Amino acid sequence: MGIVELHNVRKVYTLGKAEVHAVRGVTFSIEKGDFASIVGPSGSGKSTILNLIGCIDQPTDGVVSINGTVTQGLNDKALTRLRHETLGFIFQSFNLIPVLNVYENIEFPLLLGKDRPGKKEMREWIEFLVEAVGLADHMHHKSNELSGGQRQRVAIARALATKPQIVLADEPTANLDSKTGQSIIELMKKMNAELNTTFIFSTHDTTIMDIADHVIQLLDGLIVEDTKKSAKVGSLS
Amino acid sequence: MFLTMKVAFRNISRQKKRSFLLAGAIAFGMLVITLMNALTGGVVGTIRDNFSHALGGHVFITGQEWTDAGQMIMKIRPDENLDRLLEENATQIEAFTRRSQAMPTMIFGSKQTMQMLYGVDFTEEDKLLDSLVVTQGRLADVLVEENAVILPQPVGERLGVQVGETILIRLETLTGQQNVGELKVVAFIEDQEELGLSAAFTSRSYLNTLLGMDQHEYQILNMFVTDLSLVDSFARIFREGLRTPDEGEEEAEPQVAVMVAGVPLDPLAEAEEITPWEGTRYRVMHINQIMEAVELVVGVLNRVGLVIFLILLVVTMVGITNTFRMMMIERTKEIGTMRAFGMHQKQVKNIFLWEATFLGLLGCVGGLVLAGVISLIVGNITFDADPSLQFFLNQGQVVFDVSLASVIGNTAIVVLISLLAAYWPARAAARMSPMKALSSHT
Repeated sequence: MGIVELHNVRKVYTLGKAEVHAVRGVTFSIEKGDFASIVGPSGSGKSTILNLIGCIDQPTDGVVSINGTVTQGLNDKALTRLRHETLGFIFQSFNLIPVLNVYENIEFPLLLGKDRPGKKEMREWIEFLVEAVGLADHMHHKSNELSGGQRQRVAIARALATKPQIVLADEPTANLDSKTGQSIIELMKKMNAELNTTFIFSTHDTTIMDIADHVIQLLDGLIVEDTKKSAKVGSLS
Repeated sequence: MFLTMKVAFRNISRQKKRSFLLAGAIAFGMLVITLMNALTGGVVGTIRDNFSHALGGHVFITGQEWTDAGQMIMKIRPDENLDRLLEENATQIEAFTRRSQAMPTMIFGSKQTMQMLYGVDFTEEDKLLDSLVVTQGRLADVLVEENAVILPQPVGERLGVQVGETILIRLETLTGQQNVGELKVVAFIEDQEELGLSAAFTSRSYLNTLLGMDQHEYQILNMFVTDLSLVDSFARIFREGLRTPDEGEEEAEPQVAVMVAGVPLDPLAEAEEITPWEGTRYRVMHINQIMEAVELVVGVLNRVGLVIFLILLVVTMVGITNTFRMMMIERTKEIGTMRAFGMHQKQVKNIFLWEATFLGLLGCVGGLVLAGVISLIVGNITFDADPSLQFFLNQGQVVFDVSLASVIGNTAIVVLISLLAAYWPARAAARMSPMKALSSHT
């Protein structure tokens, strides 16, 4: 059983009188520790699927299961708890909290839950993350004092702060130059290998999807190819 | 909670100009109400002090008895019971005076005027002479000649009398008979007419002679207490201690209804049918009873101030609500991010509510500081005001006195209204769908 499972998931948005079928019945499974990439052109449904996995949106139809928990029917509190305990997020435009510095941004998710680690343990863990993303010298900088690449590194450290089982990254390199983007993907891969955290990222950049060991290709809300590095899993679900 | 507080506190410094304007509006409201409270509080204190000064005390005891002819007169005889009470409560008494008083017609040549005249035991009231500001003559001479009199300067001018000259006085004895006497002017003093107090002083023994009283009798016992906040209970001790067995229980404190020459008198004389009694019955009144009417007016003023304050706050509240709506739109993506990481709706709401609280508190502190500075400046200006206004001033200066309770109360109102203003935008922010928030372009 995969850590993320989608079974015949559909998502329909209503825009005025028109209905937009963003996802039209997708089924796939991502295993624990995967470094998975969801690729496809704009409008193919990548972000919608990430939103569904990230429990910030609900499917119109079908089943989404995160770490064995089916998300349908969960209320806001339960979804919020599930997100906090299981998921980490990396956003295209970094989304750091501007009034907090690097350390505080990474600490932020840790302070939201009820079961917080001890102060010393928390400090050591954050310092480890800051070190791991190469920002030890920028610990007390605010986000507006950092470059795009540095901000995304902070976002990666923040996504890992609560030691989530799954990290979702929605086009994490889209706002970065190719060299920085490459280094960010490599950093994510490194953290994936070191912490055995499942990474699922969306991209439309075919050059960076090669690093993924599980690639799900989308087109018009449907999976056109689901490939694992070892073997092709299936196509046109 | 600390996380939401921290984020809220830092958010305030995000848009400094906007926060400054909002807090400034709140500060203005706080400034108005604080100054209003401080002014009325100060006026009450000043009027109380001026009344105490004018009436010569905080607690006033008068005595009434019936003559054989069935006439009620106002006088206090030497009384062991009263002396014992004075002795027992000596620690609570700062000073006391035992005076006689009359409102005689003073005549010099063809001129005459009515003037309040106090009969004073100058050896007992040794501080009185020090408190008077002499303009002509020697105050000490009052101790030499029994019929010496100290006159207010304007009275001397009205009569055209000089120091060393003798004036004639015409008055009624306690039993209503006409009597005359002579007073030798030994000094003129600065008039205190602006405080409703234009008094002349002579020796009590001489005035008693003219009023038909014995040397050791007097008409009113005035006491200054050490702690004004205890004046009610202090007065009660004397009221109960001086009550005669046949007087019965009093239901409430006697109301001050009649003022003679600035001295509150007991309204008993106006009562329907009075059965004569044996001996002296005492009436004990205190300054707070006189102040009740003043405090009533001040209470109305404070309520008017509160209404103005609330109107200002309601206007500010509209501003706060609009600003918080704007803030919510500006921070939509941030709210989405926080929600994605596991922040609950309640915590999002709390961030906005804490911001409103901090803004309110900031405004309050600003308003209080401004009020402090203004009252300090205004309080140090000496006004050459109309004599009728002098009663509201302390030596020509406005006194500001704000109570901690009113500051706390007003701060609570400000914070409550700020919270109320921010509540709907905060709730809307909390209820925002994380997905919609994250896909926002703001």
